[in-house]
Amino acid sequence: MVPIFNEEESLAILHGEIAAALGSMEVPWEVIYVDDCSRDHSLRVMLELRRSDAHVRVVKFRRNYGQTAALSAGFDQAAGELVVTLDGDLQNDPADIPAMVAKLEEGYDIVAGWRRRREDGFFLRRLPSRIANRLIAWVTDVPIHDTGCTLKVFRSELVKSMSIYAEQHRFLPAMSAGSGARIAELVVNHRPRRYGQSKYGLGRATRVLLDLFSIKLIVHFSQRPLHYFGMISLSFLAVGMFFAAVGLISLDPDPEAQTAVGPIAINDLELVLVSSVTLVFILMVFFALLGLLGELAVKASGMHRRGTLSRILNELH
Amino acid sequence: MFEDSGAGGPAGGAGVGPLPGGAFEGVVHASGVEIGVADAVEAPTEQLDVSVIVPVQSPEAEVADVARALGNELDAQGRTWEIIFVFDGVRGTAWNHVQELRARLGPKIKTILFKNAFGESVCLSAAYERALGRVLLTSPQYVQVDPLELGPMLAEMDKGADFVIPWRHPRVDPVLNRIQSSLFNWVIRRIIRGEFNDLNCYFRLIRREVLDDIPIYGDMYRFLPVIAYRQGYKVFEIKVRHLKEWGKAGFFGVGVYLRRFLDILAVMFLTKFTLKPLRFFGTLGGIFALMGSAVCALLAFQKLAYAEPLSGKPMLLLGVLLIVLGVQIIGFGLVGEIIIFSQARNLKEYRVERIYE
Repeated sequence: MVPIFNEEESLAILHGEIAAALGSMEVPWEVIYVDDCSRDHSLRVMLELRRSDAHVRVVKFRRNYGQTAALSAGFDQAAGELVVTLDGDLQNDPADIPAMVAKLEEGYDIVAGWRRRREDGFFLRRLPSRIANRLIAWVTDVPIHDTGCTLKVFRSELVKSMSIYAEQHRFLPAMSAGSGARIAELVVNHRPRRYGQSKYGLGRATRVLLDLFSIKLIVHFSQRPLHYFGMISLSFLAVGMFFAAVGLISLDPDPEAQTAVGPIAINDLELVLVSSVTLVFILMVFFALLGLLGELAVKASGMHRRGTLSRILNELH
Repeated sequence: MFEDSGAGGPAGGAGVGPLPGGAFEGVVHASGVEIGVADAVEAPTEQLDVSVIVPVQSPEAEVADVARALGNELDAQGRTWEIIFVFDGVRGTAWNHVQELRARLGPKIKTILFKNAFGESVCLSAAYERALGRVLLTSPQYVQVDPLELGPMLAEMDKGADFVIPWRHPRVDPVLNRIQSSLFNWVIRRIIRGEFNDLNCYFRLIRREVLDDIPIYGDMYRFLPVIAYRQGYKVFEIKVRHLKEWGKAGFFGVGVYLRRFLDILAVMFLTKFTLKPLRFFGTLGGIFALMGSAVCALLAFQKLAYAEPLSGKPMLLLGVLLIVLGVQIIGFGLVGEIIIFSQARNLKEYRVERIYE
């Protein structure tokens, strides 16, 4: 399954390589090219390929929807037991597919490619990507070195039971690991770009960071948002208590006030301190309420009852 | 009267019989229930080239002039057409004129009558559900733009445009209105980065598929080209000759400007962040939280380096408040993410044009 966007030159070569790799495996196969409304002649090339090779299927989008949409369309259309995703720009080597499938047969649900030796510029592509991958691995607890690599092999039950949107494709392993999928990694070949322009650029740092937040939320707490928000809420409680304690300890004993021994009147306290502590407590209440709202949203959607992914994984294992 | 109601054809699916005083294709009741189910409407079998949609919002609407001008021009272009008049809770003389037109032109004229005024967006979506045209032409209730401009606009459509919008270039309405309008369009250009000069003119050609994809509601009618453009459709703007302008000169009420401003915000949010609420709320909240942290850091520095006491400094309160505000905004983004994720199964992000097996 290959998302295609403006790749007219590479297509023919790519298809030759895919056919060679899959043909050598002696299993029934198909290739789905998803045309993300390319502006060049990619579609025509694909249709010519389809004419000469019965394995080819082409899905044409009505307009440009981006890579995640292309992948999820491919997942919806795929008829195979295993689904391989592949970049259309020839940077992935289809010859790696048989090895990855063999790895999957050892008892994994996802085999992700790892471009150990990348053929991209260091500062613009490799360094940011390495930092991002470390962060993703650390936050999601899924130790994958290279989330950006499109070359991956999935069991189709897995991908068909998930819905991805808004650039989530890179988080697919992380998302399914939350439900107990077994994930392996394999070093794959990475080749320099031969044709066309890279469709990524720098300047996604904040976006990746924020996406990471939401992925963490989705992976670990989508069933019970209250836990997530409750934890945040409790941490604010702790902060508030800390400040309150500090305030009480550092309270300057006022000689006049000391005559009345007993509970400290609130007016003896520093105004600024009291209001800061109050604000932190407000945050605590606010997040507890947000958690309840989240629970409501999840309940209203009926998602908690489905839990399809974990069930399917249970059956698979 | 019987013949009239029979002329309804395939679109008369509303299941409401003719009321005294005229025949309708369908009457949409004040509950508006019928509007919400666009998916249930099957694609019409018979197709026309152009469906003209005219929301009628004034009893004195020049429906006969519109029908004559556009009908003649479309005939001259050799296109098959129909005109759908959507009466937005008004009838008046315009209603009688339309009945005369129906008697003369038969099924080419269709009417939809709302019992209450629902606004242009609802008019458009009600007409869209019943329209047979491959291309929809929305027109104001009077001849605002020279009908001869239809030729070039349709030509753009044939060249592959999804949406053709006009730019009334030498405008004929009062200067004050023109200034307000260009200010509005300037703001839109700055915020949304679509090169549109005239979003306030509704003489627009829309390919049917665009409306299959983009839901229209509220005041989104105005921003339809912007939304379509942001979603990747080909939107073209061409200069047209402006004939006349209805509507009052001068300033509008404060409420109008406020609504317009909120609409711009809504469009910006919807076109960019629907699926990624945290990107919007997170950035906004992050900015506040950073400002608050900077203030607090400054105070902490003063306390530690110069031993200035923290007590009696409202600045500390400001810093803490900013942090609290930022964190709250981020919290909203998180809830937004949960809502979107829990609905992900119902969100189909893409539309397939064709599958070649």
